[in-house]
Amino acid sequence: MVSGYGLKIKMKRNSSTKKEQQFWAFTFLFFPLMLLAIFVFIPILFSLGISFFNWELMASQQNFLGVNNYIEIFGDKIFYKAMLNTVLYTIGVVPIQTMLALFLAFVMNQKIRGRVFFRTAFYIPAVTSSVVTSIIFVAIYSKEGLLNSILGNFGFAANDWLTNPHTALISIMMLNIWTTSGYFMVSFLAGLQNIPNSLYEAAKLEGASRRQQFWHITVPMVRPVTYFVVVMSLIGCFQVFDQVFVMSDGGPNNATTTMAYYVYQNAFRYFRLGYGAATAIVLAGIIMIVTVIQKKYFPPNPY
Amino acid sequence: MVKSTLKYLILAFSLALIASCIRDKENTIRFSSWQSSPSEKRLTDSLLHCFSKKYPEYNVKFELIPGNYSEKIQLMLGTHSAPQVFYIKDFVAPSYLRYDVLQPLNEYIDKDTSFDIDDFYPQFLDAFTKNGIIYGIPKDFGCFVLFYNTDMFKAAGINDPPKDWAELEEFSRKLTKDANSDGKIDQYGIVVEPSIDKLMPFVFQNMGSFQDKDGNLTLNTPEFLEALEYYYGLYKKNIATIPTDVSMNNTEEVFGRKRAAMVISGGWFVPQLKDQYTDVNYKVAFLPKGKQMATIAFTVSYSSPKENLLKEESWKLLSYLTGKEGMKVWTSTGIAMPTRKSIAAQLDYINHPEYKYFMGSVDFAKVFQVEYNERWYSITQSAMQAIFYEEADIPQKLKQMEDDMKSLRIKK
Amino acid sequence: MRAIKIQKILLFTILSLGAMVYLGPFIFSVIVSFSDNKNLINQPGQIVNSGWTLRNYIYIWKDLPFATWLFNSVVITACQTVTNVFFSALAGFTFAKLEFRGKNLIFGAMLASLMIPGIILIIPKFLIINEFRMINSYPGLILPGMISVVNIFLMKQFFETMPKDLVQAALIDGCNYFQMFWKVFIPNSKPALAAVAIYTFQGTWNEFMWPLIATNTSEMFTLPVGMASLRYELLTDWPAIMAGTILVSIPTLIIFIIFQRYFIQGVASTGGKE
Repeated sequence: MVSGYGLKIKMKRNSSTKKEQQFWAFTFLFFPLMLLAIFVFIPILFSLGISFFNWELMASQQNFLGVNNYIEIFGDKIFYKAMLNTVLYTIGVVPIQTMLALFLAFVMNQKIRGRVFFRTAFYIPAVTSSVVTSIIFVAIYSKEGLLNSILGNFGFAANDWLTNPHTALISIMMLNIWTTSGYFMVSFLAGLQNIPNSLYEAAKLEGASRRQQFWHITVPMVRPVTYFVVVMSLIGCFQVFDQVFVMSDGGPNNATTTMAYYVYQNAFRYFRLGYGAATAIVLAGIIMIVTVIQKKYFPPNPY
Repeated sequence: MVKSTLKYLILAFSLALIASCIRDKENTIRFSSWQSSPSEKRLTDSLLHCFSKKYPEYNVKFELIPGNYSEKIQLMLGTHSAPQVFYIKDFVAPSYLRYDVLQPLNEYIDKDTSFDIDDFYPQFLDAFTKNGIIYGIPKDFGCFVLFYNTDMFKAAGINDPPKDWAELEEFSRKLTKDANSDGKIDQYGIVVEPSIDKLMPFVFQNMGSFQDKDGNLTLNTPEFLEALEYYYGLYKKNIATIPTDVSMNNTEEVFGRKRAAMVISGGWFVPQLKDQYTDVNYKVAFLPKGKQMATIAFTVSYSSPKENLLKEESWKLLSYLTGKEGMKVWTSTGIAMPTRKSIAAQLDYINHPEYKYFMGSVDFAKVFQVEYNERWYSITQSAMQAIFYEEADIPQKLKQMEDDMKSLRIKK
Repeated sequence: MRAIKIQKILLFTILSLGAMVYLGPFIFSVIVSFSDNKNLINQPGQIVNSGWTLRNYIYIWKDLPFATWLFNSVVITACQTVTNVFFSALAGFTFAKLEFRGKNLIFGAMLASLMIPGIILIIPKFLIINEFRMINSYPGLILPGMISVVNIFLMKQFFETMPKDLVQAALIDGCNYFQMFWKVFIPNSKPALAAVAIYTFQGTWNEFMWPLIATNTSEMFTLPVGMASLRYELLTDWPAIMAGTILVSIPTLIIFIIFQRYFIQGVASTGGKE
């Protein structure tokens, strides 16, 4: 009898909380979801819509073009150049950055004096504004800048790094490696600290050298972190913009025009918002394909 | 914890609220321009000062826009935040005029009897007129002329500036020399630039054009090709140089630092020569003649946006700046030439030893406007660079330029 | 033993050299920013000898609208950090602890939107803000960044680790769900809130593309946009530009050094969870 009474109360409570939960959930989510709808969900669809128009900022009416923007993209030499630059940039930056970050983390993971200092030193470029680091590097790369004066000591001729079409892109790549490798080092460091020490002890007992330990224990064990780092830096590299804007404006002769910069240029320099949106969608498609391929062929956990 | 979070929340929002309340006074006329030199800024300030002295009831706020001026103004027009009065370059005017964003000025001009619109040189007014509607009043003009180093000319035994293409090439050859005979040329005849604006005078001299009356491109024509081949030929024959070859920023610097005997430039170069390159003895001349005399004129207008709460006030400022009084203040320094005939007559620049070449060019100078999307400029720039840096095939490049630009045509 | 010692020294040398590469550019820019001579940017040695001055900092602060930009950056960063922490906690809590219709659908849509690269949002966001007539205004700069899916995701994951009993206990105590969120869950989630706050702070303070597009006049610029415009305005007045870069970096640096633990934890927690 008593227990039956209790059950009744419980049931009643449960059903009322369900309704209550529904109410509170929608109250709580109302404002966040509205913002997300206006600034994320709708824009995704809207951008697809814009890409079918000859969308002009100052015009009162927009002309429908159908897929013409996309057709134009496939005949656009600068678009190909931008794509090539972006791919070169990504291929250059991602592996070096990842390996450098892993290497630094591996070294840092040893018991060493001044660890906190080193960690801070490596991390500072990552927390600094990209505009600031770009400006500093413009000074360093300039013809009379620091880099040339250092290289001059070794007998190299002065090079204007950012206006020479052969070195401009590489210079920006170096800057990116410098800024973000410290950030990813911290990711790796966390991954390394999760590796149980017993694994290394066992390896040592079997006479594995430090190098063997690195390749056979460290590298496989941080694979999930590596996956994360590669995805993050891929996405970042494919969309590189700030550095290009500040350092070279896409020049000389489009040698540093990247896809994101080209999107910006079309939309906000030439005011071809429809064409810009179409290039952005193509870029997004490429990024998504690459991440899917990566997930398929280089999964975070092979098992 | 909760309380302090709430406190920060309130603090942040009140900050934002206060910040958005700090706004300009209601009747402030915002005025924007770019600045090509500090002395131009001083002149603008003093002109605006004259205006507020005369009309103390108006507030004018000068908002200078550094870098990428035209883009910024177009963005502001498109985003409903344009200043009330601003400059427009003739060069980019077509991309403004095709939209309904600028204030037609005809009714104000008709009402304002003292303004006297017929006083303006028609070709400059035309640059800002479409279908008879005037969207901007030209404030001044400048044009390309030839600057030549008289010491170098004397040393080479030449007395007068070149009069035609043949002489330009001949003199350039005589003026190109390797003074210390180390195999490197120290002094070139002329400094050119892989840029369309420097090329266009030659095209016009050769009876060519960029586009025809109907707006079709005319790059792939014998006249254009011949002009480009002549222009590039000066460089190819090693009697002309380009700034990057001598590690300098622009052609004016090359001339100022005595690495070239001639340069094509405009009135804005004169103050630089007087302040920075004091040891250069130079003279000015008309550009040499091709099949005809021709040069490019540059003019800038004052315009107003259509979306504007202060239309009467804006016209007051605009008409003062381009009126007889304002223009006289502005042009009496010689920074640019007047676009009003009456002011030109008053200042008598046609008899001035230097300015007469600028003022005298009015008769044959063409305003260079292109009715294609802004992107046309980067396309031509890249093509010119490819020709100069990579020795690209010229007829093929011209054809390619036309193809690349076709889709960018501004529809009427 | 000896081999280990040599190895230690070797590692230490590698790290020191690395630290020099990573900190060198900043040291260089500090030195240049105090330099008295505008023409010396190539030889740090010569700069050190050329005389020190505070003039560049005074010039940046007094003759340029640097204070305005700083104010804008502070307002925007403060607003976005506070709203992000609050809304992402609220939404994360809802997804972690409440049952409601359409939960999986909404959450799935959010996860899917994470897959979409941000670049395609720029143009439509600009047009939407322009429709609201908010370009070149604080609302236009703040609204689009008031919430982020990543933060919601982080908070959801954090709240999921908290025991379900807490909900029951709070209900029995007679709390409604907001009180429960505010009085029980929030006070117990300091590390996660700190991570979200720090992430948002860092992202907003350094954000470049959106303020670049959403502002037109110098009085609405944020620090990064203002700095980028200085590069063209001051051209080769490197000491003044470098003074600006140092001033921009100082706030982030201070915050980083104070909250270093949270930064590192934050990176580590996002890294492990993919």
